[in-house]
Formats: sequence, structure tokens, C-alpha cells
Amino acid sequence: MSENLRLRALLAHPANGGLRAVAGPAEAEWNEVVIESNESELPAEVSGGIAILSASPPTTPWQQDALIRRVRDRGFVALAMPGIDNFGAGNLALATRLGLSVLHVDKPLMLAKACWQLLEARDALTLGYVRKVAQSIEYHATGLPDLLHHLSSNVGHAIALIDEKGVLLEAGGHFEPAMHSAVNFAPWVDLARIDGGGTAASVRVDSPSRAGLRIAFFGNGLSDPQLRALGVAAEVAMPAVAARILIDEVVAVNEASVSSGLLRDFLEQRGGIEAELEQRLLDHGWRTAGFHLGFRILGRTRLDSFQLLRFVTQQLGQLAVDSHATMTGRGVTGWLTFTESQSPRQLEQHVFSLRKVHNTVRKAFNVATGVGAFENGSAGLVATISGATDAARIAANRSGTGWFVRFDALGLEQLLLSWTEHDTFVPAAESLLAPLAVGGGELLATLSAYLDHESGTAATATALRLHRNTVATRIQRVQELLGVDMSDPETRLALHLACRAVRSK
Amino acid sequence: MVRTLQYEQLPMLGRGFSLLGSGGGGTTTMLELALADASLWPMQLYGLEELDPALPCLGAAFVGSTLLLNERLPGDAPFDPLIAAAERWLGISVPVVCSLEGGGLNGLTPFTLAGTRMMVDADLTGRAVPGLDQMSLHVDRVPGVIATCDTGAGGVMLLQTDRPADLERIVRAAVIQAGGACGTVFAGFTVGDLAEHAILGGTARALELGTTFDTMASEPLSQLSAALGGRVLGEGRITAATSHPRDPHVSSVEIAGVGGEVHRIVSRSESLAFMTDGRVEASAPTIIVTLDSISRDILEVTAFTIGRHVSVIELPAPHWWSRSAERMRHVVPAAYGLDELEFPG
Repeated sequence: MSENLRLRALLAHPANGGLRAVAGPAEAEWNEVVIESNESELPAEVSGGIAILSASPPTTPWQQDALIRRVRDRGFVALAMPGIDNFGAGNLALATRLGLSVLHVDKPLMLAKACWQLLEARDALTLGYVRKVAQSIEYHATGLPDLLHHLSSNVGHAIALIDEKGVLLEAGGHFEPAMHSAVNFAPWVDLARIDGGGTAASVRVDSPSRAGLRIAFFGNGLSDPQLRALGVAAEVAMPAVAARILIDEVVAVNEASVSSGLLRDFLEQRGGIEAELEQRLLDHGWRTAGFHLGFRILGRTRLDSFQLLRFVTQQLGQLAVDSHATMTGRGVTGWLTFTESQSPRQLEQHVFSLRKVHNTVRKAFNVATGVGAFENGSAGLVATISGATDAARIAANRSGTGWFVRFDALGLEQLLLSWTEHDTFVPAAESLLAPLAVGGGELLATLSAYLDHESGTAATATALRLHRNTVATRIQRVQELLGVDMSDPETRLALHLACRAVRSK
Repeated sequence: MVRTLQYEQLPMLGRGFSLLGSGGGGTTTMLELALADASLWPMQLYGLEELDPALPCLGAAFVGSTLLLNERLPGDAPFDPLIAAAERWLGISVPVVCSLEGGGLNGLTPFTLAGTRMMVDADLTGRAVPGLDQMSLHVDRVPGVIATCDTGAGGVMLLQTDRPADLERIVRAAVIQAGGACGTVFAGFTVGDLAEHAILGGTARALELGTTFDTMASEPLSQLSAALGGRVLGEGRITAATSHPRDPHVSSVEIAGVGGEVHRIVSRSESLAFMTDGRVEASAPTIIVTLDSISRDILEVTAFTIGRHVSVIELPAPHWWSRSAERMRHVVPAAYGLDELEFPG
């Protein structure tokens, strides 16, 4: 065999019979494996092999010393046997001094088999892994992470799902960033190795919905035969992973559309919930009792609401608050739920968290976010969501606040404006004020200024740089054209709103 | 050659027997104090060839716990009742005394009888050993040797047997009966028997070793050991002491050698073997002397404490043992059930 057996590869082998390094060098490499029951049966002269003994070691320290010495004198550089972890410090110091790796093993024959696989029977190694992959697929998995856990624990090595940006999922171990950067994303199968012992065998995932994914089996100090075998195992596992990604996606889209419909039904009933709807809400894990802080993340341009929802849900998952979100129209609507009322300080903290979510989402999507008022109960949930919806609509035009507006900070004017921007109001206002179009719009401007200045002729004249008689004449004219009485407060309010709506258009 | 020993030589004799104790046999202090009466000196030490081979001979020794002897001092003539019983049984008076154990405190025991008997320079072990059945007369199965022993409160036991193992067990039982430590006397052999069945010249060797040690004690270890006719085994700090999983009397002391070596002293009531890096470097009957590296005190096995810096040298074993495999069988570590401690050389 061209390649030697390495200690780290053997330690990384999932079925090594409970091998543990007890003393001696951390890195070791052997060209020969000898398995006997006793030291006396070992060959008299080898050069650099590992001796695996199945009998228990002697009990006295001097006999243990002598055993170490004799094994080393025969030319072995490693000794594995059961019970060797009971050796004293002096024995281990001697082993280190003589350059003998001392390894404890629970099941020597299993270790022998692992050595045989790594040295001579690589197909057996591969076959063993492939069979374990098949066993993992056999078990029901609730999702992709679950499937990866099955794979990792069956095969005996850690597994990760990665793309070029980083690690998406991992099971059985941590995929180091250094390891990630060593993976080549171009080829079908890639075997990567970094300084410090990290190794990974990765395979491209052929998924129609997500490009650039790879699954990687990884571990410390895996030898080339192990990596190649794991590469095959990854190839076999790949279709299952790709299928699982697709299934999970279908389930998620379905789930999102169901929850979206549910929210619509809920909002339509405006807080008065029927028993049937209540049950559906509960089935969905949505509680209307308690305190709520609604938010809406609105696409400023056309976007994929489902992708947005997925992204937002992932971000919300990092908050230590019970949260719900679903897609509605051109964006995502959601709310944070609390069992107890929150102090203003806590509330600020939650809004700040939402703002952070908003900022993260904005890196990937062109969105504006509105946050509603803090409300209680079922009706309160409806109220905070509508508040958030209004705030989001305003935020869509507010670059100055980072496309983020909080309902409580709106101001009455903004609120009124948002209300008057409804599709039915604006045309009504336009037709109301249509008669003022004569004379180039100066009547509309004068009317707006007059109403803004508390119906004061002098103040309006100063603001418009007109003579007060001119202002009085124009207002008189407006009253005649519109046929309204400006001394009526309700008339004044309606006109004021209409002016705002038309002017802001 | 008759040798006249002076009072001033007593400390050197004590030192010499301590070296020959191989870490066991008890400290000589108590006997040095008992012999510190100047009126007892000078003493005559006879060579074997100067005495008529037909002369009956006896040997005397303290047995049991040597530590206990320091606590509970023996009377001024502890052996007199034992010798009286032996002479009465034999029907003769015994004019010659030899040593039973040529290492540790018993090397000096015959000196307490030198005023009344001729002291011959011969002993039955040449080093400290724990068992009475390891005495050379019994190893060689010399017939007719009897033993007397204290049984406590003035009682005396006399035993005649052809089975050395019985001797060991029964005397040991008597020692326990007598309170853990007492005297024993062997008789029923002659000066002529000693020529073939005893280690000769042990006292002269002890005097020579003790004298050399006292003059060379502050010299470097290699020079000291060369002067003693020995060899340096190792030097280092004691890092661990573990007892045998089955025999609590056996302990293994681990020494972190100054050069990184892993040394080990395996001892029972005395040091039995010395290992370096998993190889046996010396084993009984070779005498393994352990010194405190700083004070150069000769250490008993009970003083092998963790953290102590020690120097270990070997002194050659008396040739008597190695003349036959049967003799060796009685004194090597395997005699105590300790495997894999034979010195391959």
C-alpha cells in the first residue's frame, strides 16, 4: 500500500473500537499493523508499525514499563490495548521518552478492522459509509436539519450544507470558516484539506430551486482513503438532500399562503373572532390574547414576498421574543406577542430590535417598515397591525428615517394624510376642489394657506406676500365657487383635508 | 587472620552493614548504642581458617519488626536464654558465634556475644533478607540445624525440622507471640559447615565499605560508587510510590531521572530490583543502595518518600548465591512472587 496509516485518521474513524490516545506524539504514521493477544507473540523486528494487543496489560508498574520497552524494542512505534489508560504517569513518561504512542482501545478487534479498512480495504470502507447513508434515508426526517442529523449520526462524521457565503446547516460538528474557504465550489466532488488537520469531502447539490449548494462530510485528520469514501457517501446522500430541500420549500410556500389567508380572515373580522377562526388561529400557534406589537415590511418595488417572508422569519428567530409573520400583498405582516405589558423602556428595546431586522432585510430587499402601537388583546392586535400598515405606507416615502416609521411617532398630520390617501378619498377631494382650478390654481393655494393660518386674513397675506384685501377677496370667491360656508368648523376641516390630499399628490 | 576491632571502628562497621542491608535489615543505631561500652573493646574477629572445623557454632539475630526494636529495646542479654536452651538440647556448649544476617542491624548482633564466645567472620546471607528459610544453611539443607526463639514473657521455643518453610512459619508465629520483635538463635552446625554453606568475610567487607564510605561520602556519586566497588544505577527525584495490587508489602517507587530516564525501585522489606526505562538494571541478590542525594544518608525502603532526591548504586552480590541456580531461586525477586524482575545480564 502506498499510503501509511495515520493516528488522526484512525481516531477520526467512527468505528475504531473506542480508540483514545493516552500518551506519545499527537501525530503518528504507521506502515504496518500487527494484531496479537500478547506482547510475546509479536514479531521480533518491525520498522515503525502499530501493535494491537487484545489481552489486558500487566498490573504492576514495572511490568507495564517492561511491556512498553519490549514493544518499542521490537520496532513498534505505537501500542494499542484495552486497559492501557490505567497506566501511571511514569509509564506514560517512559512511552513518550521512547517515542511510543500509547493508545487505549475498548475493542481491539474492531480497531483491527478499522486499520484493515484504511490500509487495504478501501472499498469496504466506502461500502460501509454508503450503507449507513442508505440507513439514514430510511428513517423519517421532519425537515432538512433532521435529515442532516440522521446522516451525521449514522455515518459517524459531521456534515454541513454550505454555499459560497457560508454554512447554512451543520450537524455533528462545527464547520470552521477556514475549512469553508478551502472548499472548491466548482467541481462535482471536492476533497479539501487545511493546515491544522481539518478535512472535508463535499459534493454539489443539484437543486432546481437553490443553486450553489454543497453538502460536505468533514472531520479532523481524515486520511485520503477516508475522504474519498466520504465523497462517495456524500454523492449518494446528495439526491436525498436535494429532494428534501424541494419538499421543505413546497411545505413552506403552502404554509405561508395558508397563514396569509388566515391573517386576512382575522383582520376582516376586526377582532371579533368566531370559534372556527379561533381554532384555526390556535392550530397555527397564533394567540390573540396578550400584548402585541405589529409591524409591516412593505416592498418599495416588486419583490418575491415568499423569499422576503423566509428571510424575515429567519431574522425574527434570532429575537428572544415570541413572533409571528406571514406574507400579505406586497410584503410581510407580523407581530411580536408578549404575555405581560412592557415598560416604555422595554418597548423601545423591541422597536430597536425590529429596526435591526429592518436594516438587515434592507441589505437584501428594497423594503420599508412600519411599526404599530403597543396594543392589548384581539382587537388590539387588529389595531396594531393596521397602525403598522399605515406607518409602512408612510415609511415607503421616508428615506430620511431609513424607510422605517413607527406609528407612535407619526404625528396627527401624518396620520390624517395616510388616512386621506385612500383611493376613494383623493378623487373625492379632487372633484370637490375642481371649481378652484380657474385662474391658474392661485385660489387653491390661497385657500390652503388660509386654512393653515387659522383662517386669519392678515397672517395669510403675510405668508403669501399679498395684500390682505386680496386674500379676503379670494376667500370670498372660493366660497362662492364651492358654495360652502367657511364659518362651519366641519366644512373647514373637510376643506383642509381635501387641500392636503390634493396638494400632496 | 585474627583481626582486632577497635571501638573507634564501630561506626564504620555500622555504616558498612547499612550499605549491605540493601535498604532493609533495620538501622544499626540501636546496636551501636548497645556496644558503646568501651570496656567491651577491643574485640577479636576470627577468620574461618583459624578455628577448628569441628567446633560447634551458633548464630544469633533479631527477627521481626526492626522498627519495633527501636521502640521496645531488648534486655541486656536477650540471647542468653535462647543459647541456654540450644546448648541444653544439643548437650554441648557452643564456643563460636557467627552472624545470621550479614546486612542491617543483625550484622552487629554477634558483637554482643563476642565477650563470651569466639566471633567468626561468617554469616548466612551476605545481605538483608526477610525470611529465615533463606538462610544459607537452610538453602543448602544442612541437616541438624535447630532454632530457638523467644515466645514472650521469658518463654523459649526450640524447633528442629527438616523443612525450612516450617521453620520460617513457626518462628514467625513465635515472633508475633513475643510481641512483634525478638531474638532467635540457630545452632547444631559446626565451623566446618560454614566453609561451604555460609558467606565468609562479611564483617571485614562491611568494615571496608563503611570506612570507604565515610571518607568518600562527599565525593561525586560516580567516584563514591567506584570506591565502594559498585556501579551507579541512577539519580533523580521520587515522583510516585505505588503498592502492588495484590501484595501490600511490595511497593514500586518511581524516580524521574536527572537525564529524563524513568527509574523504578521495586522493594519489599528491602530493595529487590532497579529498572531504567523498562529494563531491569539490577535485582536481588545484588545489593541496591539508595542514598539521599543531598545528605548522602543511607536510606531504608521506608524512607522512599515522594519528592526526595535519591542516588542509587549497586554493590555486587555475594558470590555464594550465584554458585547454583537452586541457591538463586531462594533470593531472586521471583522468590517473593514478583515476575519479570530478573536481571537479564
